[in-house]
Amino acid sequence: MNHLPEIWGRPRNDIYGSYNPSYLKTSGPITHTSSPTVTGTSVVAVKFNGGVAIAADKLASYGSLARFTDVKRLRVFANSSVVGFGGDVSDMQYIDRLLESIDIREHYSTHGNMLNAKNLLTYLSKVFYKRRSQFNPLWNHVLVAGFDGNGAPFLSSADLLGNTFSAPHMATGFGAHLAVPILRRLFPEERPIEDITKDNAVAALQECMKVLFYRDARSLDEYSIAVITKDGVEVKEDEKVQAQSWAFAEAIRGYGAQTA
Amino acid sequence: MKAVENGGTAIGIRCKDGVVLAVEKIITSKLLKPGANKKIATVDRHVGIVSAGLVPDGRHFVSRARDEASSWRGIYKGPIPISALANRLGSYVQAFTLYSSVRPFGVTAIVGGWDLEDELAVDGQVGSGPKMGSGGKVEGAKSGGPGLYMIEPSGLYWGYYGAATGKGRQAAKAELEKLDLSSGNLSIFDGVKEAARIIYIAHEDSKDKDFELEMSWISSLDGPTKGKHEEVPRELLKEAEDAARRELEGEEEEEGPREDVNESEQMEE
Amino acid sequence: MVSLMGHSYMGDTGTFAHTTTGQVKEHSFYPYTDNGGSTLGITGSDFAILAGDTRSVSGFNINTRFAPKVFKIGGDDETGEGAHILLSVVGFAADGNALKERLDAVVKMYKYQHGKRMSVRACAQRLSTILYQKRFFPYYVHAILAGLDEEGKGVLYSYDPVGSYEREQCRAAGSAASLIMPFLDNQVNFKNQYIPGSGEGHALEQKKAEPLPRETVEQIVRDAFTSAVERHIEVGDGLQMAIITERGIEEVFTPLKKD
Repeated sequence: MNHLPEIWGRPRNDIYGSYNPSYLKTSGPITHTSSPTVTGTSVVAVKFNGGVAIAADKLASYGSLARFTDVKRLRVFANSSVVGFGGDVSDMQYIDRLLESIDIREHYSTHGNMLNAKNLLTYLSKVFYKRRSQFNPLWNHVLVAGFDGNGAPFLSSADLLGNTFSAPHMATGFGAHLAVPILRRLFPEERPIEDITKDNAVAALQECMKVLFYRDARSLDEYSIAVITKDGVEVKEDEKVQAQSWAFAEAIRGYGAQTA
Repeated sequence: MKAVENGGTAIGIRCKDGVVLAVEKIITSKLLKPGANKKIATVDRHVGIVSAGLVPDGRHFVSRARDEASSWRGIYKGPIPISALANRLGSYVQAFTLYSSVRPFGVTAIVGGWDLEDELAVDGQVGSGPKMGSGGKVEGAKSGGPGLYMIEPSGLYWGYYGAATGKGRQAAKAELEKLDLSSGNLSIFDGVKEAARIIYIAHEDSKDKDFELEMSWISSLDGPTKGKHEEVPRELLKEAEDAARRELEGEEEEEGPREDVNESEQMEE
Repeated sequence: MVSLMGHSYMGDTGTFAHTTTGQVKEHSFYPYTDNGGSTLGITGSDFAILAGDTRSVSGFNINTRFAPKVFKIGGDDETGEGAHILLSVVGFAADGNALKERLDAVVKMYKYQHGKRMSVRACAQRLSTILYQKRFFPYYVHAILAGLDEEGKGVLYSYDPVGSYEREQCRAAGSAASLIMPFLDNQVNFKNQYIPGSGEGHALEQKKAEPLPRETVEQIVRDAFTSAVERHIEVGDGLQMAIITERGIEEVFTPLKKD
């Protein structure tokens, strides 16, 4: 037998001619994500007195195809923070595993995991920024909800470019257009978050999810909602948009079969 | 090789609903902060390791175990089974007996953990999959359970109902054998009490030295730690220690004179 | 690369090779965005002011009404307490943040290694180097650095994205720079202001620029921003003013129009 392992099991040169080694090449140009594939749409979140509420629907779209309808886009970290993912679902899974490994590493010490939502956002934004600087972005826009180092409710966003910003209520994707104006009307910025109860916040998110379902074609009427308080994270994965009314559809002119 | 026989006694008990790890931590200096310098390490969410022997070797062993556990997650997107971890660590330790450039590990380590019994979510899983039909789930399918292994410097490892290593291992083994662990009746709460008691008994031979008891446990999903490796809560630890101390004192009162005989017998030897 | 391969395959074999629209799909990832906003710095004889609005935008969306653009550099803790240098960044916020953190680390390391504060002059040169190191993948920001010089006078250095810099009396940067800068030319450097009756035509004598008192400068900053807010959609919400004097750094936030 030949002593070169790469020849084993291949056609003999003396009979078939020499093998073209270029077929064996494992290297090639490095390829990067240039657009997302399976995507989630909006994430919506509001701060309230003593915590943060966050919601995202359960749809993952493949272009205009509603591909997966039971996708959990709210990810709990250390039972004290929630990351809501918009954008590419496989990148979300990658990040989720990354966070999982951090959580495991944090538990090596006896203090357990002491990373708060603010730490988490800083970390995620650096991951995003590094990857965008390598021209190999993680195609997500995330909201991080929880508490900061002083124990105050924390809500901030990070996107695929590494940009971060913070506001009392925020939304990614289509929600930035549709949900944020609703939230700004319900909770004007001059109104202190101490005036907003948990029920106010949850009701507002329910309303936002409804409006998003009405107008965002890549959305679903089933969603997850999480409430983060000092006591921990309470996630509901089987929420449904209530009291839908499509009466307004009658009034829409100029689309579809109807012409006048 | 002698190194393994010294240092604090470490034990592991495989209970029906979890695993308990305990170690006798000899206080070598009054300047050491109580409760610091932990000897039981967390390797993954569901695995803990305690070892006796050379402490730095133990640290390196734990570090390797963590790498193995996380590399398993990287490939299989789920927690490493305790048996697989023990196997890999056994191979690793064995490799150190093969070469003249390295010396074997100076530790005997006890690896304890709980393989999750319910259907495992893949790390990063987003959906719940089909509810029925092709790719659907088998209702009520159960697997997993407690895992306890002891790995020796030779690379030898066995699975145990009860494992003991370190200076007081003989006494500890004798006590572990009395527990009838193979019948699978002992609960993890009783396991904690027994572990504390056994460490206290094993300490009898080196009574002149002060020690600290460190204990951790991994329970089933419906148990107190929900499948995670955690320190035994302080109150429970104290309770177990008090019980152990009381029992020892009781014995001493009863068998006070006999102990003197024992000691003289030993002296004669 | 991707687009080329895609084309040849589709062109040779694909039934759906021809797209109906003339639109070219964007294949590459664009690593920048413009987060809008404006910054402005003015120096005086014993102070320097750096100011910026606090709005952050993406296209026509307001990301937040409060995203400060002026940072304390080389402070002792995360609040920036004890800092003696100010940096403002406007443009792509993620790059701005990265740049700020780099410079902050550099100034801190300087102190730890040399046992003394980094001079603003040295810091200014260092910032230029940091920017130029990324000459072929620049930090997409207009930076302004401010502090006090060796004589205790206000200093201000302004930068282009690849590190070209210059010491100036005043500078406006960001989306409303073209609105604010001419105003500053006139109000700070007294451009097109002449001494009345000093002559006719070319003999007319230009009013000489000299350091302005702090109150005047603060008012100029306020006026510059309230005016910019009127005419530029990316500027508004809040005004952040940081004033550095020998006593340290004072920071003031005042509201701007939120429309």
